[in-house]
Amino acid sequence: MTTLFPTRSNGATAKPSDVVYVEPQRQVTDDTLAAMLPEAGLNTPFIADFLSAVLTHERCGRHLYRAVAGRTNNPILKRKYEQFGKETERHVEILEKLIADMGGNPSYVSPAARGVEGMDTHLLESTFLLGGSLDVMTQEMVMLDAVFVAESVDDANWTTLAKLADNLPPGNVKTQFLGAVQEVTAQEVEHLSWARDTKAMLVLLQAQSRAMTAIGAKAEELVEKVRGWLA
Amino acid sequence: MAFDPLQQKGMAVEDQLRNWSELNVEPYAKRDVDPFTRVRVILMNGIEVESILFSHQFQRMTDNIEIKQKLALSRRVEQQQQKVVNWLNPGDQTPLETTIGYEQVAVDLTAWLARNEPDPMLKQALDFALLEDFDHLYRYANLYELIGGRHAAELTGHLTEVTPGRPTFLEHRHPYDDVRGHYETHTVDPLSRLHVMTIVAAEQQTMNFYMNHGTDWMEPVARGLYAEIAQIEEQHVTHYGSLLDPLDSWLKQLVFHEYNEIYLYWSMLQQESDPRIKQIWELHLDMEIGQLQVAGDLLRKYEGVEPAEILPRELPDTPVTFEPNKDYVRTVLAEQTDLRTDGVRYVPVQDLAADHRYFAYQQTVNAGGVPSEQVIKENRTKHGREYRDETEGPHPIVELRDPEHGVG
Repeated sequence: MTTLFPTRSNGATAKPSDVVYVEPQRQVTDDTLAAMLPEAGLNTPFIADFLSAVLTHERCGRHLYRAVAGRTNNPILKRKYEQFGKETERHVEILEKLIADMGGNPSYVSPAARGVEGMDTHLLESTFLLGGSLDVMTQEMVMLDAVFVAESVDDANWTTLAKLADNLPPGNVKTQFLGAVQEVTAQEVEHLSWARDTKAMLVLLQAQSRAMTAIGAKAEELVEKVRGWLA
Repeated sequence: MAFDPLQQKGMAVEDQLRNWSELNVEPYAKRDVDPFTRVRVILMNGIEVESILFSHQFQRMTDNIEIKQKLALSRRVEQQQQKVVNWLNPGDQTPLETTIGYEQVAVDLTAWLARNEPDPMLKQALDFALLEDFDHLYRYANLYELIGGRHAAELTGHLTEVTPGRPTFLEHRHPYDDVRGHYETHTVDPLSRLHVMTIVAAEQQTMNFYMNHGTDWMEPVARGLYAEIAQIEEQHVTHYGSLLDPLDSWLKQLVFHEYNEIYLYWSMLQQESDPRIKQIWELHLDMEIGQLQVAGDLLRKYEGVEPAEILPRELPDTPVTFEPNKDYVRTVLAEQTDLRTDGVRYVPVQDLAADHRYFAYQQTVNAGGVPSEQVIKENRTKHGREYRDETEGPHPIVELRDPEHGVG
């Protein structure tokens, strides 16, 4: 079972600093992280922090997909969000296993992960905090944009992981890295290209149809129109 | 017995509105009330005020009508809860008597939280400010005797000692040195999160109270003392507010607020000696469970997060408890009175350079005399000694012992 929000009860750890207080028994240091992959000849603490950030982005992505799947008015978008959400949860599972197999703690939240979570939190909030001033069509586009931005970061993360895997010495860890990258990359490419293409399609659809003009239309009519998108 | 708020039915928010006569409750009798009932009323008023202010801040950050309406409904109910709780204070309880109650809250709440705080850095933050609020109680107690001729122990019931802490004139720090680090929202013990949220609300209410009641007096020394201590409360709200992890989203913070209110009403319920007031805590607990459900629904819908993902499976098994903390306070007094802050760190005063901003700031604000010293001096002049209530013996720090014998 995957963890979508590390907490004390599922083993969360973090790095302390002057500004971040972490109880002693929950503290992780670079020395502890260096014990992972001792033979790899790489900057292991950095890699552990980076993997934590990638995993956090996937976890936030799962929450994003749950949220937009629940709020979209379009059944086709909903199905896609649900599908991508399940795949994203599988990515969480893969990364958790990879980190655990390397001797790490999947519930470790690195400083980089905190930065990513901050970014993703605001991205998700952007899909609803200003929802009152947006018509339903625009709200759909904002949610789609959030998916696109999230998938862009995902794409960059997995491309980077693929390059990182190339630099690992031959062995079990490299094999696991390559396996993870192989399973996930194709889906990430699909997610990103779908978001980009769908956005273009919906923009063109609205641009080319005077009937889609939102101004003056009743909310229920707009919902009906959104429901018919892509049908 | 384990209490999981997410498994409770609670009262639907739509059913929580009360009429005016229900809000206008009969106050307690100020001379008969259990001193710790008074402090429970003061604390829970501060908790409701924080929930209201937080909700207002949140609603200014969004134009999402559904969220604003849900916030508005819960906030209206929280306002009613605040009225019921705060209206328990009787009209014959003067602002200064209420103030002594506020400082008793500050001492015994902070000390209890520190004693039960698992994180050493958060415990340090509590211990640090504990000594300052402890000193405020002593200063206000002297004001009470000076202008009212009465003893603070009539209100505190000798449950809390009255004697100097870190002297108030030494508490004035440059604003930069009141900013602290914060807990980490994933690793934090759920109890620590609740402790921090509770102390932020309590100190904020104290700050607000002094901001508004400092002008209730004709006597210049009283006005001066309120102005001076109100500034320390500003420091404390900065200090404690820094401890909250800013990583949490607005909706997560809303859920945590409701959860903390549940924890506190449940805590108050465990110890309340007044059956009528106990019923209020019970009712409000039921209401908060309903409010948590609304907050949880918003979190689920807008952020795709199940409340159970971020909340503990059950309330901490230890209720926040008001009880005497005299030995603990004396230990902290003996060990930490000379502690100061330098940026985000705590340091002994002797480690601060002579040109540190701490001293420069004090030179500025203390330049024209210090009301917190003046009140002691005036009371000594009027009564031939200052007011103390040292039930456990002489002050643990020799330099802070009373030149005369204390009374109480």
